Amino acid sequence: MTAPLPESNGKKYDLGFARWVYENVDGGDKLSMCMQCGACSGSCPIGTEMDHGPRKLFMMIRAGMKEDVLKSNTMFNCTSCYNCVVRCPRKVPVTYILQDLGRVAQRLGYAEAKETDNARFAKAFFWSTRKFGRTDERLFSAKYYLSFGVGEAIKMAKANMPVARSLMKAKRMHLGMPHKIKGVKELNAILDKAEEIEKREQGV
Amino acid sequence: MPNGGPNSQAILVVGGGIAGISAAVETAEAGYDVILLESSPVLGGRVSRLNRYFPKLCHPTCGLEINYQRIRGNPRLKMFTMATVAGVSGEKGNYTVTVKTTPRHVNAKCTACGDCAAAATSEVPDASNYGLTTKKAAYLPHEHAFPMRYVIDPSVIGTPEADAIKAACKYDAVDLDETEQTFDVTVGAIIWATGWRPYDAKNLTAYSYELPDVINNVEMERLAAHDGPTDGKILRPSNGEEAKRVALIQCAGSRDHNHLAYCSRICCLASLKHAAYVREQYADADVDIYYIDIRAHDKLEAFHQKLKNDPQVTFHKSKPAAIVEGPDGRPVVKGEDTVTRDVYARDYDLVVLATGMEPSTAGFDLPVTLSQDDYGFIVPHVEDTDGMFSAGVAQGPLDVSMSVQSATAAALKAIQAVDGA
Ligand SMILES: Cc1cc2nc3c(=O)[nH]c(=O)nc-3n(C[C@H](O)[C@H](O)[C@H](O)COP(=O)(O)OP(=O)(O)OC[C@H]3O[C@@H](n4cnc5c(N)ncnc54)[C@H](O)[C@@H]3O)c2cc1C
Repeated sequence: MTAPLPESNGKKYDLGFARWVYENVDGGDKLSMCMQCGACSGSCPIGTEMDHGPRKLFMMIRAGMKEDVLKSNTMFNCTSCYNCVVRCPRKVPVTYILQDLGRVAQRLGYAEAKETDNARFAKAFFWSTRKFGRTDERLFSAKYYLSFGVGEAIKMAKANMPVARSLMKAKRMHLGMPHKIKGVKELNAILDKAEEIEKREQGV
Repeated sequence: MPNGGPNSQAILVVGGGIAGISAAVETAEAGYDVILLESSPVLGGRVSRLNRYFPKLCHPTCGLEINYQRIRGNPRLKMFTMATVAGVSGEKGNYTVTVKTTPRHVNAKCTACGDCAAAATSEVPDASNYGLTTKKAAYLPHEHAFPMRYVIDPSVIGTPEADAIKAACKYDAVDLDETEQTFDVTVGAIIWATGWRPYDAKNLTAYSYELPDVINNVEMERLAAHDGPTDGKILRPSNGEEAKRVALIQCAGSRDHNHLAYCSRICCLASLKHAAYVREQYADADVDIYYIDIRAHDKLEAFHQKLKNDPQVTFHKSKPAAIVEGPDGRPVVKGEDTVTRDVYARDYDLVVLATGMEPSTAGFDLPVTLSQDDYGFIVPHVEDTDGMFSAGVAQGPLDVSMSVQSATAAALKAIQAVDGA
């Protein structure tokens, strides 16, 4: 069971944070192995998009910079390519740690975590999964665009028209009714159960 | 006269690198009979393939030559080259060791005149240059070879070339019929000084060792050596141009749980030495050293500081993530600078991977059960009932001075073992 994250009481450096991450975040027990060599951030194909990158984020965790860590965009930019995990000389499961930290930030309601592109994207993706049992490229893109407001959504949709056309040509996107799977109801029951277990494990 | 004197048991030293030579010489000079086995055709081991020694940048041949003199002058020391241990039985004070020798096909009458090499036509990889060059199938391993005696490569035995080689020898030194031999020796103690091999850079898939201008650190020693493939000029293997933008990559496969989990301790200093080689040759050269942390222990820190003061040697605190081929075929080093958080991609004339030292016994079936650590290094000495000792890099990643110290310690322990036996 995950222990509740201790309150920082407004402190910039929360010395209990690292320990909490070691003990509660998936793969966090291996984080103390990190020797700050930089192989992870250097291996990251989109590392330049990240505000900190994994190596620096891990140092910030150790320094107890809880707020800055949970507001970071680093977790949400991870594409799970696993380059860093393969190359890490200390076998730190970087990808797992980032993913779980992202979930922690979401759960704790950090606005930054909710507002990132990737969080919006994941939300739209999940919406489509629950609704149709699969992704409908068109509807879930629309849902994602709309999360930025109607005006912005129209702009984004227009900008992505060439992509949409190519997708349709390749039969990866279609017009008309969305294709649903047979057992949408059953799939939702599975997802509900998973959510229930997750909540129980997190002690909420 | 030591206790037991000339009647005490002999001591066996396995491996004729700097550690084995030191252990053998020290033991013999203390008045004990010593048998030294070396599996290759020459003594000296890996250091005979180094260009110079850190931190004084003196030549390994100098110290080796002194040791060879000590060997020549000591009747108590019997040495066998191209010889190894095939089996061990018995216990402290009374081991029976089966020695196996491989034919050299050249006997002691050899004067090293070189007529056999002139008669040879085929070429074989030159082990003393780590295979960077080839040499004739009748060869002297290198110009300072000890013993100074030619070797006929087994690949030509049974061919007309071998007959021509034999016919060329004026001294009747070529023996084409020599075969593998085994014989037993009785000794009271055994010192394992079997040394190391460079960690295989091919395993570092992200570092593109297959690119011609990506080499390892032992190859860099050869590039800088006057008797190496480039006569001592540091040139790009791809096109023979001068290598003036050079990257040295520390911990290439070391301190890495996917490769060698330990630190080999000498690679930082070896790379600092390589930076010095390049800077000595080219006034306008730039050398970049990529490191996790520089491990220059004790007195070696001064050498580190000296290089740090050179404005054309730059230290980047970063373990490179990858080395890739650039558009013009030049190697490009990529990674994150951990001080500035800059993500870089820089191209070089030459990239040197500072690979670590792996015990030469790792992955091999030893003829006897020895106490080895997780990495295959042989534990220096287990307990008093045991007459087995280790010295040099067989024992752990050591530099030359530490190897020699460990060899002297092993010699003394072995003497105590045979005296007390
Ligand atoms: C790139 C590089 C640069 C270096 N530069 C320096 C430097 O400048 N200064 C410094 O102090 N150190 C340096 N070192 C370290 C130095 O090379 C070692 O400390 C030294 O070689 C250790 O000697 P050794 O006798 O233990 O092992 P080795 O030199 O490996 O000798 C072992 C010997 O045993 C023989 N052998 C192995 N197995 C058997 C067997 N089963 N039977 C019989 N014989 C066997 C081998 O053929 C070999 O001759 C460097 C290392 C590297 C990688």
